[in-house]
Amino acid sequence: MTDQTPFRLLLAALGGEGGGVLMNWIVEAARGAGYQVQATSVPGVAQRTGSTSYYIEIAPKDAPQAVLSLVPMPGRVDAVVCSELVEAARVMAAGFVSPKLTTLISSTARFYSTAEKIAMGDGRYNEDNVRKAAQAMARDSYLFDLGALATENGTFVSATMYGALCGSGVLPWDLSHARSVLGDARSEAGFDAAVAEIVALKDGAGDAEPEPAPVTAPQPDLAELPEGLRTVIGHGIDRLRDYQDAAYADTFLERAKRLIQAADLSDHRAVHALTEACRRLALWMAYEDVARVADLKTRPERFERIRDEVQLQPGQVLTVTEYLKPRAEEIADILPAPLGRRIMARVARGKGLPLLGRGIYVRSNGVAGYWMLRAMAGLKRLRRRSYRFALEQQAIEDWLGVMQAALARSPDFAMGLAELPRVLKGYSDTLQRGKFAYGRIMDNIVRPAIAAGREAEEARRLRDAIGAALADDSHEKLDAVLAGDSPAPGIPNLKRVENA
Amino acid sequence: MEVSFAKEIEKLKLGEGEVFHGEGILAVTKALLQSGVSYIGGYQGAPVSHLLDVMVQAAPQLDDLGIHVESCTNEASAAAMLGASIMYPVRGAVTWKSIVGTNVAADALSNLASPGVMGGALIVLGEDYGEGASVIQERSHAYAMKSTLWLMDPRPNLPSIVNCVERAFELSEASNTPVMMELRIRACHVQGSFEAKDNVKPAISMKQLTGAAPHNYEQLAHPPVTFGHERKKSGERMDAARAYITEHGLNEVFEGSQGEVGLIVQGGLYNALIRALGELGLADASGNCDLPIMALNVVYPLVPDEILSFTKGKRAVLVLEEGQPEYIENEIGTILRRAGSKVTLAGKDVLPMAGEYTSEVIGTGVGTFLRQHLPKIGNQLGDESYASEIEALREEAKALLVEPVPPRPPGFCTGCPERPFFAALKLTQQEIGPVHYSADIGCHAFATFAPFNFGNSILGYGMSLASNASVASFQQQRPIAVMGDGGFWHNGLLSGVTSRLLNGGDGILVIMKNGYTSATGTQEVISSPDTALKLEAAEKSATHGETTIEDALTGVGVKWLRTVHTYKVAEMRDTLREAFKTPFNGLKVIVAEGECQLERQRRIKPIRAKALKAGERVQRTRFGVDEDTCTGDHSCIRLSGCPTLTIKTATDPLKTDPVAHVNNGCVGCGLCGEVSHAATLCPSFWRADIVTNPGLWDRARAALRGMLTGVRA
Repeated sequence: MTDQTPFRLLLAALGGEGGGVLMNWIVEAARGAGYQVQATSVPGVAQRTGSTSYYIEIAPKDAPQAVLSLVPMPGRVDAVVCSELVEAARVMAAGFVSPKLTTLISSTARFYSTAEKIAMGDGRYNEDNVRKAAQAMARDSYLFDLGALATENGTFVSATMYGALCGSGVLPWDLSHARSVLGDARSEAGFDAAVAEIVALKDGAGDAEPEPAPVTAPQPDLAELPEGLRTVIGHGIDRLRDYQDAAYADTFLERAKRLIQAADLSDHRAVHALTEACRRLALWMAYEDVARVADLKTRPERFERIRDEVQLQPGQVLTVTEYLKPRAEEIADILPAPLGRRIMARVARGKGLPLLGRGIYVRSNGVAGYWMLRAMAGLKRLRRRSYRFALEQQAIEDWLGVMQAALARSPDFAMGLAELPRVLKGYSDTLQRGKFAYGRIMDNIVRPAIAAGREAEEARRLRDAIGAALADDSHEKLDAVLAGDSPAPGIPNLKRVENA
Repeated sequence: MEVSFAKEIEKLKLGEGEVFHGEGILAVTKALLQSGVSYIGGYQGAPVSHLLDVMVQAAPQLDDLGIHVESCTNEASAAAMLGASIMYPVRGAVTWKSIVGTNVAADALSNLASPGVMGGALIVLGEDYGEGASVIQERSHAYAMKSTLWLMDPRPNLPSIVNCVERAFELSEASNTPVMMELRIRACHVQGSFEAKDNVKPAISMKQLTGAAPHNYEQLAHPPVTFGHERKKSGERMDAARAYITEHGLNEVFEGSQGEVGLIVQGGLYNALIRALGELGLADASGNCDLPIMALNVVYPLVPDEILSFTKGKRAVLVLEEGQPEYIENEIGTILRRAGSKVTLAGKDVLPMAGEYTSEVIGTGVGTFLRQHLPKIGNQLGDESYASEIEALREEAKALLVEPVPPRPPGFCTGCPERPFFAALKLTQQEIGPVHYSADIGCHAFATFAPFNFGNSILGYGMSLASNASVASFQQQRPIAVMGDGGFWHNGLLSGVTSRLLNGGDGILVIMKNGYTSATGTQEVISSPDTALKLEAAEKSATHGETTIEDALTGVGVKWLRTVHTYKVAEMRDTLREAFKTPFNGLKVIVAEGECQLERQRRIKPIRAKALKAGERVQRTRFGVDEDTCTGDHSCIRLSGCPTLTIKTATDPLKTDPVAHVNNGCVGCGLCGEVSHAATLCPSFWRADIVTNPGLWDRARAALRGMLTGVRA
């Protein structure tokens, strides 16, 4: 009986990717080759970026009038083709991929789900686990970027999915017949490219992912330090010289050295804490104020990047518009401290400054817009005497103080504390919420722990609190951790902090 | 609707002997034409929208058939349309999504069923049950029983479905009773083939007019004749139906060698059953099976003689019936008991009461049944090893993947004009605190998912305002109800607005005026922009000049009414704040206006392509994020949820968290920029306007810019 089993094919895609088109190609090719075929789908309301699936059965020629099923059966699917990597994970989790039977073809492209995107930190699903699972769970697995291949060939992922499926050799008809149902040059190009790629993979060419470019950071004269730490410090010096001047970079180095002196470099946890602390220190010292933002927005390389990103063609004309909303607070930040304080006092009384606090559109590659931004970038010269500079340096010194203590006493606690400035993110209200969370963690966990010498005992709670603060912007989870509840599982950031 | 069904319409024109290749629901449409229907109507909804969508476009081309096609404003209106078949010998069919549509249609259905029909009347139900369903899970079967309508559930292959449609009309006429046919989601979307017949020209139609029927009190659903109808339904009409079903072999029996037991299955589950039996080693790919199977293509009414004849000489039968409660099993039990049969009846005792019957579920149930009632086979089955094999597969995947796979529910499209409204509402709530939110059916229900997470209740299509009538009485803050223009015309105007006005109640209603019933495939409503408005709007939103909704609201007496374009996020937030805070006591309606992006893009694409081809100046817009200034806090994403506003690994070696990123799918709707302004988010968003085929003025300005700024752009 089993030799008459139909060929069973499950396609997993996202709404709007052309899964239906792909299904129809396969159906047409099967009919053209004289096979009885049946296909169905559950698109429903999922036409809008939700997970969709298509299921096809092709009866062998010696089983006429086969009764074909409309629903895939777990463990009984011959081939699975996915347009996206996490969809492959979903199919495997549902039990459709069997090591005895299933050829799994999946794009490695990621189309992040909302759940992954909305985390304050890094909520992305672990791709390595999907690759490992595919290796273990499929009879044959072919993972490569079908989305990029489609883009390169000016077509859609449905064409490269079809090419990969046909190129894998699981279908009972030849490539030229498969290709004949396409009917347009771009789909054919995508099909051919995917066929070539999967044939190369089958021949054992392996995953041809490029090696990451070597990082060429200036190496300061700190030869005795571990490699990772030295790189971070190098980047930090570079960043702060760019941000302000050589003297400010020296301040960074001096601060980093203070931390290094407090740490036991033979303990890898301490080295890790130190590296992260130096990274946070550099980012914190290069805080974003209007001068910095204006400077970054008017650099030639930035406009080049935009030209690339929008795929500007020769002969086209580009204008770039910025969405800015400077408030009195941002202006106070960059003004000399006494002036900044007076403005902030006005703000506290509920008053602002004239003309500010409204959204403005600035054409940054227009003449007026460009030079206005350049003028704002020039405010960098006022930065050292500015209102915010003083506040930030004070807060940095405060953190450095506890960081030194933590490094000397508990590397675990220091690893958490090094991550704490990570909650200071964003601008305006977002930044205020971050500062609020930072203050609460500092006052409720860090200072009491250091005062009582209970760093090691409190390390876990500190990391939980940081993870919770990064999990949502309402601070509900942070409230729970500070109230003594164990953290809710499934806070992605938390795991990352632990894994780090 | 901008989508063209030209290819589908060609398939509807196929003649005798030609082979139809296509989708299940289109095959149903073709079968209606082959049955000589005079009229077709319905209300859109997955999985049956396609029937009506195609027919609306096909009607002019099938002009010689003279079929009247109507897009009804709701299912009640569609069901009432079948009234034509009560007093005229005309065939007609209507369609909708069930259970929800049948609920709405229930009043008309009762009044239709009572007098019965002269011409064949068919209701094609998209039975939205199981995976992929978008509505509450209930069975349509109950309606068949309580109103005495016949219910067909054909085996899910095209020849069987088409045959059932054709037979349905004959059955309807033979028994003077409307017939319902339920098709599950996958059956509606199934791709298959059947041999077509010629379309039949109806004897009475738009082309063949007839005079008014004589007054016949018997045809009214009005006492005293309703008492006679009630007797006829279970009497002569039921008898006639059973006779027809038997005579034409609508139900199918497949013999098997193991005659001591038997399986009785709803036709729609037949293929899943065969696959399950194949896994158990009891059937081959062509459906030849060791166990006798009775496939019920008509699930109501059952024919007692057929049941008794099938069960005769058997020790036990298993009824495979999806969903709850077990109406068919109960009826078979009654039939067997009344006949004094000793056959053991099994069903929901070995199969789950609720949920979809997949092959996996069926296999387990059949295995249990056989172990109890046919141990010589049951004890040798592989169902338990299959179950443990699959369990092991899932466990292994779970262990390897470590984290649970993130959910990926459907969401608002890129450029959807409804998304900005929810960003504005989120900002408003940040100011005034949480409010009771009554959600509705439609695209806007996607706001119940992350990142918006809105909604305290969903009570049905167009019912959001009605559902908070009493909530409003005990809330400190005004509750808000949101519905789409589809829901507004389907039910919301009457059930919600006029009821609130009649009672002088307070409250806030937001109507998403996007111009179409978008969630079901952008069908037109009474307030859809007409061709002139679309032409005038070109690339802009075409809903702006369309004021039918506002006129209707003013007409019924709404005093506080604002129309705000959704992309004006700050203005929308201010309007919402006003609605929540104003001392005005009474219904406040905000019309949140912005044309459905799907329709707008379908209109724009050809306009642009044509202009580009002609070498004309074309401007496109897209947005981006400066990764240098993005700190990776993702506030913008939490206020937008746009599919193209995503994240990527920062190229900055110091940054460990991913930064926001706009991918190439961006259509330049501008929400990210508006939100960053309204919420004072961050300065990272930029807008790029790219001019293709620039004019002299564009080029001169670009040259001047380059010269005076030193920036190449």
